[in-house]
Amino acid sequence: MGTETKSQTTTAQKFQALILDIFFGIYFVVTLHRVFYYQVLLSLRKLPPVTVEIVLLYIGIGTILGLALFFLNASPGKLIFRQLPDVPWKKAVAEHFLWIIGVLTIATGWVVTRVSILDFFSQEGLAGAKRIFSALLSPEWSILPQALLAIVETIYLALMATLFALPVAFILSFFTARNLMRQSPITLGIYTVLRVLVNFTRSIEPLIWAIIFTVWVGIGPFAGTLALMVHTIASLTKLYSEQIENVDPGPIEAIEATGAHPMQVIWFAVVPQIVLPFLSFTIYRWDINVRMATIIGLVGGGGIGTLLMQYQGLAQWHEVGLLVLIIAIVVWIMDYLSARIREALV
Amino acid sequence: MALIELRKLNKIYPNGVHALVDVDLTVQEGEFLVVIGLSGSGKSTLLRCINRLIEPTSGQILYRGQDVTHIQGKELRQYRKKIGMIFQQFNLIKRRTVLLNVLTGALGSLPVLPSILERFPDNLRQEAMEKLRIVGLEDKWNVRVDALSGGQQQRVAIARSLMQHPEVLLADEPVASLDPATSHSVMKYLKQLNTDYGMTIICNLHFLSLVRTYGTRVVALKQGKLIFRGKPEEITQEWFKEIYGEEAEEVEIA
Ligand SMILES: Nc1ncnc2c1ncn2[C@@H]1O[C@H](COP(=O)(O)OP(=O)(O)OP(=O)(O)O)[C@@H](O)[C@H]1O
Ligand SMILES: [Mg+2]
Repeated sequence: MGTETKSQTTTAQKFQALILDIFFGIYFVVTLHRVFYYQVLLSLRKLPPVTVEIVLLYIGIGTILGLALFFLNASPGKLIFRQLPDVPWKKAVAEHFLWIIGVLTIATGWVVTRVSILDFFSQEGLAGAKRIFSALLSPEWSILPQALLAIVETIYLALMATLFALPVAFILSFFTARNLMRQSPITLGIYTVLRVLVNFTRSIEPLIWAIIFTVWVGIGPFAGTLALMVHTIASLTKLYSEQIENVDPGPIEAIEATGAHPMQVIWFAVVPQIVLPFLSFTIYRWDINVRMATIIGLVGGGGIGTLLMQYQGLAQWHEVGLLVLIIAIVVWIMDYLSARIREALV
Repeated sequence: MALIELRKLNKIYPNGVHALVDVDLTVQEGEFLVVIGLSGSGKSTLLRCINRLIEPTSGQILYRGQDVTHIQGKELRQYRKKIGMIFQQFNLIKRRTVLLNVLTGALGSLPVLPSILERFPDNLRQEAMEKLRIVGLEDKWNVRVDALSGGQQQRVAIARSLMQHPEVLLADEPVASLDPATSHSVMKYLKQLNTDYGMTIICNLHFLSLVRTYGTRVVALKQGKLIFRGKPEEITQEWFKEIYGEEAEEVEIA
């Protein structure tokens, strides 16, 4: 097996393995020094500052280590890409190196997130937990009208965001479907630009869009709606266009063969194949949007989240308890309804 | 003048497959031409080049002496209207009715917007019913096509192509997903169009027995090259082995 895989190894794969080795080397040096040495061995709470010299040192030592592993063929990179020759001790070195990297990663994660069993089970901590849970379990019902108003605002916010996004995403999805756009270099260019834009927009979380829009149009439900809408357009476009890419090309050929106009081809051969999945995706997205809308208020996007932030800021935990309860119920109902509707559709 | 003339037609797919190699072919009006060949020999590619569903890489396609190799847009759609096509997988719009599917055959002659709103003129609906009568399915006009059997679906597809008033009908293995008896019933409709209406038929087939029963002329493709042109009865045992390979055995279709 070793010889067979070796003969298939390309330069590109070797290069990938080398990059990986150098990365592992640097990662190893940094985590070993800063996490294992300072924080585990010396238990320092405050780390010495990072200087340019020390960074260069990390990179230097790490690179040498990586290169050494690579050229000695005890390379974890080659191990991952299955290019390692069958020499037991070299394999063992590479494997153990990967194990150490794994352990260091978990140690780093532990330190970075400040996991502390002590804090979790401390006297004070437990008392705090008891206070908040008992408050959450005895919600303050007097603010119910206010809370209901806020949750209704939230549901409408999600609905409007979904409805506004729908036609835009519908149209965009045809321009971002590869099978429809590969005909000419021009359409392929449009496809590529739109795809990049959509993917970029989608990769920014709605919460961050909400921050952007609160600056743009001011704090309130409108900012929240816009934030959800932008993100919904991007993600529905992606879901829709994937559906279009998966349509059966047979009917398209058949309608094209009748001499039909491209618009007619799309309407009669593509659209009937996609309406039900589209509906299903849209309902699913509305469900997600209600969920998102409850927290989008945390950054000033309106709805029940804004209320939640106010009471949390005042440490009025009984009121917070009621809001959490209402959010949970509404999200659960939406979840259930959307699942049932989608089942009925397909 | 020949109806269709292919001159040195080549098709190389983007993945490098050379599906058609220097194909020269002349089709006369009124022929029932059968194309045979192994799977992957280029039969579907040849058919789709004729109505330009696939762009040939080089060569020429002449229709009644006119070069149609590079026509585009409206001109291409006008050309396609003259050429009906049916498929192995029928390629109907599932979930829609038989009548609507037949009506889509007329899309090439309808203005875009009204047709998308499904406003079809009454005389067109009547014509669609007539075409359904030809294929013996007039009582099924209001049934969803996915509720029909394979043979019935293929007849709907034939009725759809008739709505184009085609001069030529391309049939890409029209009976390959049907059982023997149904195959014959579908082939008989094609033969009837050929003899009664003088429609030119170009049909890809797998079974030689069907070729002998229905074809007036046969051509054979092997690895993209046309290696045989002649009458169905001229396919000797030697030719058979040449076309389908040494191990092949002829099977009868009842
Ligand atoms: N879209 C495509 N992209 C790349 N290669 C293709 C494509 N369509 C067909 N081919 C290749 O071109 C060759 C001819 O295919 P074609 O479909 O024309 O053969 P066929 O004779 O119709 O075969 P079958 O009897 O299986 O339908 C095959 O090798 C096939 O793999
Ligand atoms: Mg084929």
